[in-house]
Amino acid sequence: MKHQLVITNEPIDEVALLRARSISEGMGAMIHFLGVVRGTEDGKNIAAIEYEAFQKMVEHQFQLLFDEMERRWPVESVRLVHRVGVVKVNEPSLWIEVVAPHRGEAFAACQWLIDEMKRVVPIWKKPIAG
Amino acid sequence: MRVPVHFYSYFKDLTGCAEAELPAAEGCTLADFLQVVLWEFPKLQAMERSMLVAVGVEYQPRNYLLKEGDEVSLFPPVQGG
Repeated sequence: MKHQLVITNEPIDEVALLRARSISEGMGAMIHFLGVVRGTEDGKNIAAIEYEAFQKMVEHQFQLLFDEMERRWPVESVRLVHRVGVVKVNEPSLWIEVVAPHRGEAFAACQWLIDEMKRVVPIWKKPIAG
Repeated sequence: MRVPVHFYSYFKDLTGCAEAELPAAEGCTLADFLQVVLWEFPKLQAMERSMLVAVGVEYQPRNYLLKEGDEVSLFPPVQGG
């Protein structure tokens, strides 16, 4: 399974990411997930979220997740970009692409990856008031 | 030995620092070492149950035996996405 992980301070360039997509003839599903910063946090209006990461551990924990993902589903490739630093409301903080033979596997793998990320990958957020 | 300990997220606010170095007896467990940390930084005591603990880049159970060269990281539940 091919995988690419990017943890970045820069805005997520969806157009460039889509331009770089790759899928082999045996694959029938490519799904994209975009996580976007909401304008409220715990019922209060916010202007942005500041993300902090324990970079070395983030890379290691994502590698473990990608390894497990490969064991569970016939995923051909996964690409994941996560922002760190200040991300304004309505801007994406997370971009994921999963390529698999069928949509069921692609959706299940992507959902699992996000759920596990929120359980073990050391990234934290701090709301910035509006 | 002395063991470096790193704090992340609001744990840095509670401790007033991003890292410290604290003493650990030879053969002590992570649980033993955490008691030293909580004694030194009492504002973390309320977070003891929800606190996540890593050694290097791996999560470790409280009965993990610390060894020379280990670095401990303490942080609240993660919130990526």
